[in-house]
Amino acid sequence: MAYAYLFKYIIIGDTGVGKSCLLLQFTDKRFQPVHDLTIGVEFGARMITIEGKQIKLQIWDTAGQESFRSITRSYYRGAAGALLVYDITRRDTFNHLTTWLEDARQHSNSNMVIMLIGNKSDLESRREVKKEEGEAFAQEHGLIFMETSAKTASNVEEAFINTAKEIYQKIQEGVFDINNEANGIKIGPQHAATNATLAGNQGGQQAGGGCC
Amino acid sequence: MLTRVKSAVANFMGGIMAGGPGAEHGGGGASDLPLRFPYGRPEFLGLSADEVECSADHIARPILILNKETRRLPWTTGYAEVINAGKSTHNEDQASCEVLSVKKKTGVTNSTPNKNVSTKRRSSLPNGEGLQLKENSESDGISFHYWSLFDGHAGSGAAVVASKVLHHHIAEQLQEIVDILKNSAVPPPTCLGEDPESMNSSIRTLTRAASLRSSVGAPGSPSTPPTRFFTEKKISHECLIIGAIETAFREMDLQIEREKTVYNISGGCTALVVVYLLGKLYVANAGDSRAIIIRNGEVIPMSSEFTPETERQRLQYLAYMQPHLLGNEFTHFEFPRRVQRKEIGKRMLYRDFNMTGWAYKTIEEDDLKFPLIYGEGKKARVMATIGVTRGLGDHDLKVHDSNIYIKPFLSSSPEVRVYDLLQYEHGPDDVLVLATDGLWDVLLNEEVAEAVTTFLPNCDPDDPHRYTLAAQDLVMRARGVLKDRGWRISNDRLGSGDDISVYVIPLIHGNKLS
Repeated sequence: MAYAYLFKYIIIGDTGVGKSCLLLQFTDKRFQPVHDLTIGVEFGARMITIEGKQIKLQIWDTAGQESFRSITRSYYRGAAGALLVYDITRRDTFNHLTTWLEDARQHSNSNMVIMLIGNKSDLESRREVKKEEGEAFAQEHGLIFMETSAKTASNVEEAFINTAKEIYQKIQEGVFDINNEANGIKIGPQHAATNATLAGNQGGQQAGGGCC
Repeated sequence: MLTRVKSAVANFMGGIMAGGPGAEHGGGGASDLPLRFPYGRPEFLGLSADEVECSADHIARPILILNKETRRLPWTTGYAEVINAGKSTHNEDQASCEVLSVKKKTGVTNSTPNKNVSTKRRSSLPNGEGLQLKENSESDGISFHYWSLFDGHAGSGAAVVASKVLHHHIAEQLQEIVDILKNSAVPPPTCLGEDPESMNSSIRTLTRAASLRSSVGAPGSPSTPPTRFFTEKKISHECLIIGAIETAFREMDLQIEREKTVYNISGGCTALVVVYLLGKLYVANAGDSRAIIIRNGEVIPMSSEFTPETERQRLQYLAYMQPHLLGNEFTHFEFPRRVQRKEIGKRMLYRDFNMTGWAYKTIEEDDLKFPLIYGEGKKARVMATIGVTRGLGDHDLKVHDSNIYIKPFLSSSPEVRVYDLLQYEHGPDDVLVLATDGLWDVLLNEEVAEAVTTFLPNCDPDDPHRYTLAAQDLVMRARGVLKDRGWRISNDRLGSGDDISVYVIPLIHGNKLS
């Protein structure tokens, strides 16, 4: 399917915080209560629309276990966005955020947009991390922040889409070099066709397929 | 009869690969031809188009593994792969893994052109379903396990086709001999169609006739049947299976050649195949992939590589016998370096097809031609073109900017080694490792063995993913980590920028099967 841009995302965070469930909820709109351990990397993809532009999100869901860290570290490269996930019902997953953030900053490109996600917001009764704590951590480290529930789908769309909006914004501002694929952004065929239409004012539309 | 078998095979193969246009659609230029099979990753990984797209990331180079609960390979085999660092858009390695049952061929009289059900693909995505079927089919047939790796070059077409079809050729060959294989107590008959019963009775008749003659005292009677005194080679069942695999490789290569007229089948590929049948592993290798068994921490090589260097003498001999294959542009002699014109008349070190050592010869005009085999190690090439000397496909491959075909120098014949799985009680950490050259280019056998024997004991023996994790670990060790100066592995050595594919096959399952 034609897209204007492709953004590569990576989802990181401790094991069991709901990374794979967030991805499944976003791509398939369903929730899987049984936890299958991710033992390397898995992929998902979905089209979204931002300001009338078709954007394909290519999402890399990584293993959270410590033993896979050396492998997953190599997947930061070429990501435009990262979802850093913790579990609001497990304080330790919040405490490990600093380590995750250091890892991400060290192995990714400096413009990568990072969204901090406090997942499992449906389990209010078991909450160990206050929303304000998440907000404060995000503010301190320059991240975007949201609480989500992969189970009820609350804020899941928003988390993925707001990250994309931020990346799109950075493209508009010229922060990202979109011709360098190592930044996690690819220009799609649709975009090229649109440009042709604007420039030549003729013929480009058929070539582009789905128009924005 | 032979023709009939051949056409039945052709129909059988055609039936399996349904969906493509037949010969009547063959018009048009070569570039317009349809693909035989679309490009993809191994079927058993079960990847969607989006996932294939994600996997083709030459920057992050994700290691693909079997991580879906629903997808398991037989024997809990582990598999992992990674794409190259940018040398080709696609990952040109391919793999397939199957459990197939082979049934006795139905009678010749009622065989119809498309009767291809006797060899049935039981499970393309082995997940345990196949096991139930096994009970039913075992009575009148045999089943075999199959693992394969193909490393493509100059395009992905041949590797994709081989990964989809070669096992059917093996099944087809085994089908011919299934009755003989099932009857393990009796060695394979030398000549089919000779009923052992009638042979016995004819011997009896002969004996009686002879005794009659002697008693009657009439030697040299004109009706004496001919007696056979010549010795006869004993051929084992094992040799029959090796022959079946070798024939299947050749049939696969011929099929690619035939179908190139109607399909776009690009490039060529190496092939490394393991067949488990009747208690033994048959490891067939044509190319530069490698198989090793790691048993009790020790390495047992199960294949050797076929490269311009290892096959120099075969290639030189062929060129010596058929000099026209060199197109008047190459010399079959090997010299330590290129010969210069000013050296004509001098004596220089050389070697020919009959030599492993070196000698001196007087340099002639002809010796100035480019050597048939040139370069060292991974850079050695046949006629400056190809670095691997056995495999499938490559029928159109020519020396650059010439009309000289490479194919006559390539062989589709595999070397088959046999390992008797039942002769040894294997532990959970005893494995067969198969991998394309991406792994072996940067890791020694001993390093691979060391990695596996360190890794496996740290995994839960009951973890169904333990061999997958071991395969992932091997790929990671060979790929390394991208640093400022490229992909680096341990001790700051250069990692492999090639496609890397690895199977880790546990041998402990052999214990259960006995």
